[in-house]
Amino acid sequence: MGLNYYQIKKNVLRARKLVIKATNTAGSGHPGGSFSMAEILGCLFNKHLKFNAQDPQWVDRDRLVLSKGHAAPGLFSNMAVAGYFPESEIETLRKFGSRLQGHPDLKCPGVEFCGGSLGTGLSYSIGIALAAKIDSKDHHVYTIIGDGESDEGQVWEAAMTASKYKVDNLTAFLDRNFIQQDSYTEKIMPLDEKLDGDDISEMWKDASRWKTGDKWRSFGWNVLEIDGHRVEQIDAAITKANATKGVPTIIISRTIKGKSLEHMEDNPQWHGKAPDSDVVPIINSELDSQFLISPSIIAGDMSNLENEVKRCVTGRSDLIHLDVMDGQFVPTKTFDHIKIKELRPLTVIPFDTHLMINDPVKHVNDYIDAGSDIVTVHAEVTDESSFGEIHDILKQHQVGVGFAINPDTELPEWSYKFLSSLDQLIVMSVIPGKSGQKYIEETHSKMSRLNSILNENNFSGCIEADGGVNLENIGSVFADGARAFVGGGAIVGQQDVRSAIKDFRNVVLKSRRRMLLDKANQLGGSDLVNKWIGLHVIGTKQEEIKKIAQECGYL
Amino acid sequence: MNDPIMADMRSEYSKSLIQLGHDNPNVVVLGADTTDSLNISGFGKQFPDRFFNVGIAEANLVTISAGLAASGKISFASTYAIFLPGRAVDQIRNNIAYPSPSGKKGLNVKLVSSHGGLSVGPDGGSHQQIEDIAIMRVIPNFRVFIPADTVSVSKLTQLMASEYGPFYMRMARSKVPIVHSESQEFKIGKGITVKDGSDCTIAACGITVRMALEAAEMLQQDGISCRVLDMFSIKPIDNEILEKAARETGCIVTTEEHNILGGMGSAVAESVSESYPVPIKRIGAQDMFGESARDSEIHLLLEKHGITSFNMAKQAKELRNKQL
Repeated sequence: MGLNYYQIKKNVLRARKLVIKATNTAGSGHPGGSFSMAEILGCLFNKHLKFNAQDPQWVDRDRLVLSKGHAAPGLFSNMAVAGYFPESEIETLRKFGSRLQGHPDLKCPGVEFCGGSLGTGLSYSIGIALAAKIDSKDHHVYTIIGDGESDEGQVWEAAMTASKYKVDNLTAFLDRNFIQQDSYTEKIMPLDEKLDGDDISEMWKDASRWKTGDKWRSFGWNVLEIDGHRVEQIDAAITKANATKGVPTIIISRTIKGKSLEHMEDNPQWHGKAPDSDVVPIINSELDSQFLISPSIIAGDMSNLENEVKRCVTGRSDLIHLDVMDGQFVPTKTFDHIKIKELRPLTVIPFDTHLMINDPVKHVNDYIDAGSDIVTVHAEVTDESSFGEIHDILKQHQVGVGFAINPDTELPEWSYKFLSSLDQLIVMSVIPGKSGQKYIEETHSKMSRLNSILNENNFSGCIEADGGVNLENIGSVFADGARAFVGGGAIVGQQDVRSAIKDFRNVVLKSRRRMLLDKANQLGGSDLVNKWIGLHVIGTKQEEIKKIAQECGYL
Repeated sequence: MNDPIMADMRSEYSKSLIQLGHDNPNVVVLGADTTDSLNISGFGKQFPDRFFNVGIAEANLVTISAGLAASGKISFASTYAIFLPGRAVDQIRNNIAYPSPSGKKGLNVKLVSSHGGLSVGPDGGSHQQIEDIAIMRVIPNFRVFIPADTVSVSKLTQLMASEYGPFYMRMARSKVPIVHSESQEFKIGKGITVKDGSDCTIAACGITVRMALEAAEMLQQDGISCRVLDMFSIKPIDNEILEKAARETGCIVTTEEHNILGGMGSAVAESVSESYPVPIKRIGAQDMFGESARDSEIHLLLEKHGITSFNMAKQAKELRNKQL
C-alpha cells in the first residue's frame, strides 16, 4: 500500500478548516494545539488507526487517547471527516447540549478518553494497553501528549510504568510545539537545554539542543524523532513503532503551534483563542494555499541520481519530482521504475513520479511497486478508458493520481469526470523532453481558463507547475493557482539546494501574503487589512506584510 | 458485652480478592508499593498477569485503573487512604468518576484504602486520613462504604465487584472487632440496625460501631433504650432508616473517625434535616489533625477527639434531656 499522501493532506486540510469553523462558532477553544498535531491525527485517522465510525465501540478498534485534551477541536474535526458524525455538528462545539464538549468526552461516541486535566492520558493508555495484553488482543493504543503537559509528574510516572510492563502495544506522540498557555515551554519549564536570550525560534532550528528524546530514552522507551508536520515522516515512524516489540515507543514530533496560518504559528496567544468571524474567510484562503516544492532531479547529475536525491533531502524538499522519459513520448530517455526502486530506500520524502512515456497504463503497476507516492500520466497518451484504469489502480494502492497536459494541450473533456478525485494536475509550461527550458508565458492565460473548468468540476487536488519555474516567475505562477512547483535548473541546478528551496518558499510566501491582503481588502477594506496585519505579531512578519500592503496601496 | 473477636480487614480483603480472581477473569488488582502491607500481593502471586504494582505513584495508580476499566476490566486499586483521596483526587474525579460510557455512570473502578482515620496510630497525623469521606462523597457517581468489620469487608468487596461503577471503601489499619454475623445482608444505600432502641439513636460507621454498641449498653443500665445503626453506606445514605430513627427515637448521635465536617455525621445531618429534623450531635475528629499514638495509646488519641463509648452515651443522654 502507498502512503496515501494526497488523501491524508486533503483530509488534514478539511479538518483544519473545521477547527476554524468550530472555534469561531464557539467563540473559544484551542486552535493552536489542534493545528500542531493536525498531521499526526491526519496520518492516524487516514492511514493507521483501525476504527469503524458506524460502530465506535467495535471491540477490536485501535484506541486513540488525546491526553492534551484542550486540542479537542482537532480531534473532533478529524472524527467529523472520518464520518463519526456530520461535519455540520462541529458548529455545536462547546455549546449547551452538545456531544462536542469543550474537552474530549465519552459523551461523543468514538472518543476514548475524557481529557482536560493534563498529564493523565498516558497512564490511562497504559491501562488500556495492559487490558489488551490480558485479553490477548492485538489492537494498538496511540496517545498524544503535549510538551506543556509534560510538566506534570504523572507523565513520568507513566513513562516508568510503560517501560516496566513492556507496553509495546502503545505508541505515544509528543506534540513538541514549544508553547504552553503562559508562554514558550522553555521559559516556563524547559524540557530541552536551557535557552539563553529571547529568540526562542532559534531553539527549534538547533536540533543539537533537543534533549527531550534523551529523557524518554533514559526512561527505557524507544524514541523516534521526526518533523511532526511531514506526513511521510509520521507514517514511517508509526510503521517503525508498531514493529518495535518489548518496549513502548514515543514519537517526538517537532511541530509548530498554529501550523499553516502565519499569524498563529509560534504565537502563544493562539493557545486558547478563537478567530474572529471577519478573518475566517482569509484564514480559509490561507489554508487552501499551502504549497509544495518538488525538485526535479534530472536537472542534476544524471550519473549520480542517488546524490541528487540526497541533496533534495538535505534541502528539505516537500516532494521529489521524478521525470520518467522513454525516448518515445518525448525524444529524451531518462530512467524507469528500476531506478526509482533503487532510489526509494534513500528517503521517505514522497516520490512525485511524472510519466512521460507511451502507454502508461501498461507500466503503472511497475511505478506503484517502485514506491511512487503519486503517478502522473499524460493526457496525450491516455483516453477515458485507459486513464480510468490507471486512476482505479492508483486509488486501490493508495497512490496519488496525477494527470498532465502539455503546453499545447487543452484539458480533454473526457477527463472532467475524473477531476473531483484527481490529486494533481500538472500544467506543463515547457515542451517536455529536457531540462533547462524557458517558461512559456502563454501558460498564465491557460491557467485562468483551466481554473474555471476545475472549479466547475470540483477539483480539490493540487495544480503543479512544471517547466521553467524560477524565482522570477514563481510568484505569478502561484497567483495563477499553482500549489506545487517543480524546480529543475532553478533548484537542483543550483549549488545549494537548501537555500534555493528556501528562496522558492519565500517568494511564494510573499505572493501568498499579497493574495491574502487582496482578500482582506476586498472583504473589509483598509480596516480589515489593518486588522489582518495586526494579527501577525511574531518575528518580522508584521513589517514584511505591511510593506506588501503599502506596495499594493491598501494602506 | 463479651470480649469481641478481633480480625484483620486487610487479610479479609485479600481473601475476597483472590476469590473474585477465581470467579471472574476480568478482575484486576493494582497497588502502589503497599501491596504487602495491604495483603493484595497475595492476589498477585495467584494471578500475576492481572496484578500491577506501579510503585509509589498514586496518580498513576488511579489513572491506569481507569484505563483498564475502560477496556472492560473490574479494577481494584488499593493503597493507604491518605494517598488515595488524600493525594489523587484529580485523577479520581476526572479519570474514574467523570468518564461515563454510554448509559453508565463513571468507570468500573473500586478504590479500596486501608489506614483510614485516626486509628492509624503511630505513623502520626500525616498518615491519618480524616478527610476522605468528605472528599469522596461529593464526587458525583462515586459510592462510599466504611465497613465496620471483616464480615462487612468480605461482603462489600463482593458487592462492589458485582455492581458496576466507581466505589470507595475505607478500611482501618488495626484489627477490628467483629460486630456482624456471617448471615448479615449488605445492600447499597441500606444502613443496618445493629441494635434496636426507642429513646435515642447512635449512627456509627467503621470502628465506632462496636463503641456505639458499648455505649448503648451503658445507656441501657440507665434505663435508656438506644438504637445503634451501622451506616456503612455513606453514599448513598439510607434516608429511610434515618427518618425512621428520627421519628421513633427523637435524637441522633453520629460517630466516626473522620473530621466532623463533611463526614458521615454531616451526611446524616443533611438527610435528617430534610426529612424529619431532630437534634443531632456529631462526634468525630474535632476539625484538627491527628497525631502519633502507639497501638496501646490509640484509645487516648480517640478520646482526645471524644470518640469513646462513654462520650457517645453522654451525648445521647444530653440530646435526650434537651427534648424532655
